[in-house]
Amino acid sequence: MNSLNIKWILFFFMIWMLSCTKVIQVNLNDSSPQIVIEGNLTMGTGKYQVRISKSVNFSEANIFPPVSGAVVTITDSVSGITDSLSEISPGIYTGNLLTGIPGRAYGLFVLSGGQIYTSSSKMPQIVILDSVTFQHNNIFNRTAINPVVNFQDPPGVKNYYTFTQTVNSRDLKNTFVFNDRLSDGKYIRQQIFSDSTYIQVGDTVSVHMNCIDLGNFNYYNTLRNVTGGNNFNSVSPANPVSNISNNALGYFSAHTEQTVQTVAY
Amino acid sequence: MGLIQRIRYLTVILSGIFSIFLFSKTFAQQKSFSSPAKHTVSGTVKEKQSGEVLIGASVYLMEHPKNGAISNSYGFFSITAPAGRYTLIASFGGFKQDSIQIELDENLTQPVEMVQQSFNLQEVNISSVKGNENITKPLTGVQKLSVSEIKNVPVIFGEKDVLKTIQLLPGVKSAGEGSVGFYVRGGGADQNLILLDEATVYNASHFLGFFSSFNSDAIKDLTLYKGAMPASYGGRLSSVVDIKMNDGNNQHFHASGGIGLISTRLNVEGPIVKDKGSFIVSGRRTYADVFLKLSKDSTINNNSLYFYDLNAKANYKMDEKNRVYLSAYFGKDNLGFGTNFGINYGNTTATARWNHIFNSRLFSNTSFIYSNYNYNIRINSGTNNIVIKSHIEDLSLKEDLQYYVNSKSKINFGLNIIHHTISPGVVDASAASSYYSQTLQNNYAWENAVYISHEYTASDKWSFNYGLRFSSFSMVGPGTFYSYDSAGNITHSQTIPGGQIVKTYFNLEPRFSTSYQLNETSSMKASYTRNVQNLHLLSNSASTNPTDLWIPSSLNVKPEIADQVSLGYFRNFAENKYEFSTEIYFKTMQNQIDYKDGAELRANANVESQLLFGKGNAYGLELFLKKKVGKLTGWLSYTLSKTERQINGINKDQWYRANQDQTNTIALVGIYQAGKKWTLSATWVYNTGNAVTFPSGKYELNGQTAFYYTSRNGYRLPAYHRMDMAATLLGKQNKKWQGSWTFSLYNVYGRENAFSVQFKDDPNDLSKTQAVQTSLFRWVPSVTYNFKF
Repeated sequence: MNSLNIKWILFFFMIWMLSCTKVIQVNLNDSSPQIVIEGNLTMGTGKYQVRISKSVNFSEANIFPPVSGAVVTITDSVSGITDSLSEISPGIYTGNLLTGIPGRAYGLFVLSGGQIYTSSSKMPQIVILDSVTFQHNNIFNRTAINPVVNFQDPPGVKNYYTFTQTVNSRDLKNTFVFNDRLSDGKYIRQQIFSDSTYIQVGDTVSVHMNCIDLGNFNYYNTLRNVTGGNNFNSVSPANPVSNISNNALGYFSAHTEQTVQTVAY
Repeated sequence: MGLIQRIRYLTVILSGIFSIFLFSKTFAQQKSFSSPAKHTVSGTVKEKQSGEVLIGASVYLMEHPKNGAISNSYGFFSITAPAGRYTLIASFGGFKQDSIQIELDENLTQPVEMVQQSFNLQEVNISSVKGNENITKPLTGVQKLSVSEIKNVPVIFGEKDVLKTIQLLPGVKSAGEGSVGFYVRGGGADQNLILLDEATVYNASHFLGFFSSFNSDAIKDLTLYKGAMPASYGGRLSSVVDIKMNDGNNQHFHASGGIGLISTRLNVEGPIVKDKGSFIVSGRRTYADVFLKLSKDSTINNNSLYFYDLNAKANYKMDEKNRVYLSAYFGKDNLGFGTNFGINYGNTTATARWNHIFNSRLFSNTSFIYSNYNYNIRINSGTNNIVIKSHIEDLSLKEDLQYYVNSKSKINFGLNIIHHTISPGVVDASAASSYYSQTLQNNYAWENAVYISHEYTASDKWSFNYGLRFSSFSMVGPGTFYSYDSAGNITHSQTIPGGQIVKTYFNLEPRFSTSYQLNETSSMKASYTRNVQNLHLLSNSASTNPTDLWIPSSLNVKPEIADQVSLGYFRNFAENKYEFSTEIYFKTMQNQIDYKDGAELRANANVESQLLFGKGNAYGLELFLKKKVGKLTGWLSYTLSKTERQINGINKDQWYRANQDQTNTIALVGIYQAGKKWTLSATWVYNTGNAVTFPSGKYELNGQTAFYYTSRNGYRLPAYHRMDMAATLLGKQNKKWQGSWTFSLYNVYGRENAFSVQFKDDPNDLSKTQAVQTSLFRWVPSVTYNFKF
């Protein structure tokens, strides 16, 4: 039901209403640096990485200090094997011992600055993305071309998905989330909306589909709040619901990964 | 068993009402035995030229100025006095005072017909107009507006709008730029009960909130109760907006209308039988889509973007004691983007009323009311052809009796019965669609109330209006009903057959207000009110959307309760030419509803598992100065206020400012009669920016900048201010045709007010972030031609 977005209508309505924008100065409070943990684990051996950094104040440059010297381990809940990750560059931790297998849960442990952060995530079974097609939407005088993902949702289980796009080697910002709450077992043909870029005919478009667990679905679903515009038609922005303990920002996700590349038509 | 219970319950209510009625009747009779012969003069106050009844006209005896009455919603008044010869005086703002000699030697029916004042206001001797009901009436937090009063107030696109004009009153705040949504004394946008001829209007807006559902051609007047409402009203926490439609001219046929930038209006009225009955039909349609159609570009001309509404009313006076009214409203919005997406929504209401005058002291009104709000969404996206439908429908009966015991005492009592049907959503998806068709279970509920209130003038100084409303709300089957724990997991489920009660909530709602008259021109007033709300709006936004969901009180959702105390000082200056009032209020709210981050509110059978509950506080000071007569009229209103919420699960369970917490609000309205042809008007508004959530830090996630928030609504948008102006030029005025031009300019000095502020990477320097403000509506000019023949 992601396509039922009233904000989307309002967006076009506002263009029609000749709204205007300008950059303003806002005095924002400072906050103490927060730890940000980004952990991803996917299918295959050694396919995992944990990135740890700190937040900065709004007025500062977009340079986010990496957190070095942390103890980072990932544990396979089935085999019981724990890998202690090594820091290959500042704030980036990887390992080679574990193999990502669908259906298995993985535990994350991070010790940094005397604080312990833990999380766990279960890699769902893979769902095959059959193809990517395109749909043209005519809204006022603009044509928006969006990719459509085509796949069979497995019946009887709850499935959660994220979709991201790379257009002509450029990664788009939006992460589109989808779940089968209203579609369990259906053949899915879902348009992937994006509010940043319009795809042109002839562009090379890669669509990346990840099958994620509930904790990460909640994360990505609430991540949209972070970009809230504070207008009367949007919810109050808030930090996304993280699956990592001890108020860390970020997430730990064990997911499947699949990419289909096509040329837009 | 459920049905029997309900019948028994209703019987108890009815017998209660009946015994109150009998009691008051005996009481009155006993009184009349013990004092010298008293008689009652009663009747209906009307406008002479059109036969429209006048609501709120002051009628009194010149010989006993204290012995008076205010005409009720149907123009009825009743005055009891010792036998004798009197002069009956009737006065009403904008009308010539009327005086009638009466011989009160028996109970008397005396119709009053009043004549509208001409434009030369300065010639009218206003010193004889009583016009100080604002001082004497024991009512706090009440604002009355007639459409003739608001017709010259400038508004965006030149569309006169009662719901926008009330936002210029103290204690009322706008929900956003150009929006008809409003907040009263710190309450939510869904906590206002909006009544059109007694029927609840669930979504009083068109065009995503930029216009109200009310065509001002069809409206007679509006009364706003800011919390301290009489016991006859109930069902919402913050306010009641009671809107009355015109009855139509019962003397002559007339047509009037207007052609404006956004819409065209047409209004036709006339007698059904002269002096006995009349009708009125008003229609309005916007035509932005007509301009779209002119485009040759098919991506533009297949969009639709319009709304229309239709008001119709008829009344017929069968005899001196019986009168019937039928009124109906139908409004629809249609927004469509090519073949991909469409939404239409609208309200339908119908009210059938019967006024019956039992005798000169007992007035009864019985209403049967239908109200419906529905929306349909249509999505065609590749193979996904989906239609989503939802509606809320009410059937209700209201019985209201007004008993004029004597000149000092009036009793109002009655009952309301409402049956609610809420269809939260029917999803109809094509076979090849990615979604299943599904129908969410309907919610059924009975919302009943009995009430009694007593308006009593204890002495020259003290007046009281106190009452009690006993309300019940019962959610009934059929259906499967769940209970949830705080994490949202189902703890219990039960299947209840049709008609059986799932859960009932009873509430006593005391209403008390008093006034103490300090002298002829000033008074102090105080009130305490409890209000209960059993229908709750779940909105994904700070304001309201057409697709917001109403849910009833249930096993998990408790009735919202508000207690408000207020204290006021009222003073008139210069022979009632100026009215001044100041009020302070303090309000607490229980069982307030919010929802979890990322809540799935749509097409979710377990929507109640997504909710969070908490409480709220609101307090403030309101100042109001109004100039009622003369070449220059208008008002100044100021509000100093605070409103906050505490909801477990939000802002680390700490108190936070509500989004609509605007510390200072100022509105200045001026209307100047410049000669016989021109009327000039201007408004200026100022308010502290809304409380909003801005980031206090940023971090990198998946290679992009994300923002870090520390507290809910910890920041403010920049202050909002704006000036609007309008000028009305009267054209040819003769018996056959009266025309006028209205020119208006919204946002005269082109202030870029913040509609939203977004944070993002600076596109010119990706190593930095910036705050970008979006504004709507700079310099919106409009012109409207209005006519009447």
